Amino acid sequence: MTSSSLSRLRAGLIAVLLGLTVSACGYNTIPTAEEQAKAKWADVQNNYQRRADLIPNLVATVQGFAKQEREVLTGVVEARAKATQVKIDVSQLSDPEKLKQFQDAQNQLSGALGRLLAVSERYPELKSNQNFLALQSQLEGTENRIAVARRDYIEAVRVYNTTLKTFPGLLWAATFFRNNKPMAEFAANEGAQTPPQVKF
Amino acid sequence: MPRLGWQRHIAAVIVALACTIAAAVALTFPPLSGRVVDQANIISADVRSAIEVKLGDLEAKSGIQLVVATVASLEGQEIEPYANELFRHWQLGQKDKNNGVLLLVAPKEHRVRIEVGYGLEGTLTDALSKVIITNAITPRFKDGDFSGGISRGVDDIITALTTDASEWQARPALRLDFQPTDKMINLLIAFIVIAIITGMIISPGFRWFMLNVMIDILLSAATSGSSSSSGGGGGFSGGGGSSGGGGASGSW
Repeated sequence: MTSSSLSRLRAGLIAVLLGLTVSACGYNTIPTAEEQAKAKWADVQNNYQRRADLIPNLVATVQGFAKQEREVLTGVVEARAKATQVKIDVSQLSDPEKLKQFQDAQNQLSGALGRLLAVSERYPELKSNQNFLALQSQLEGTENRIAVARRDYIEAVRVYNTTLKTFPGLLWAATFFRNNKPMAEFAANEGAQTPPQVKF
Repeated sequence: MPRLGWQRHIAAVIVALACTIAAAVALTFPPLSGRVVDQANIISADVRSAIEVKLGDLEAKSGIQLVVATVASLEGQEIEPYANELFRHWQLGQKDKNNGVLLLVAPKEHRVRIEVGYGLEGTLTDALSKVIITNAITPRFKDGDFSGGISRGVDDIITALTTDASEWQARPALRLDFQPTDKMINLLIAFIVIAIITGMIISPGFRWFMLNVMIDILLSAATSGSSSSSGGGGGFSGGGGSSGGGGASGSW
């Protein structure tokens, strides 16, 4: 065996070893968990958007039967406008302030929607309107999807943050993934445990 | 600093472990023993076997897994999260299509829910699910006729799922269109093998690369092989589908 083929063998062995260590010791865990959490966040945002998309139709339907409830109706329209303005880019997920802003805007919309549905109880004709019933069940379904998406996101963030803080992810976080910050946790307050009930 | 740092990490591990355990023991689900899981014992025997036949037909025709479940208790949970977690636990529907549906009845809590997998949200919409619950199911439940309500509910769900036939009838044809012939596959494999051998003869770097790839494949096969056995037992099992909370709930 010549010396050149020996050194080639050694270089090859090192390459194999390096490849094995890197994939076996969880080099991929951090990016995988990060992408997972980001995807779950997209679900959360999509479901909130879906709720926002239902509102114009709902407001129009209620308006047809209960024009005098102007205050409640404009409350919903304004809260919706505010909520759709606050969008979070996936790169901002580590910013608790931004997340709180999003949360507050959506909570306000939830409150306004709750008032609208409470008010609609007073109008028997509206309550038995087919279009209104369909919208209500869609809204109910969307609230439930939001709850599920939030639960999934909270879990994905927990996994990602734990990976960053525990062995062996800790080592990768300290070396190759120094820019990866833990993601802000969604306060598991209203809606996270039990979906808001839309009674009718 | 280092000492305190390590303590904090250990604490984090303990907290994380505690969370996983807490999540795991949160709810106990009945096993998926068949297409009808009647834990609460409210469905009569003849209705049950009739429903099982219909559900089997549905899956044979369209691939949709519809499962009826009654539970003795929701264990203090609301029906929506309970149904979602049960759906995911049983993995109803095919993995790539998420075409499962769960009709869950909790007689003790007087709650009923149709939980719809991701793939069927467009066919069995929330509004449609609600209509089925309020028209077909809850009026009969109010009179104590659980078998009748569930039977009618199943009929209506199947009608809703199969009336829009264009969606699932078109699929086999599409699949046939894209089926490449055996000859084409053989040619492709031969080409790849020749390319790899040529590469290995010409370049020593490529040789090492291939060795690396091979070992990686073997290693990942060895580590993932143990976890790939699913369900089994020869009976009925979920296909790996998931749900994102679509559907509707009702009470009586």
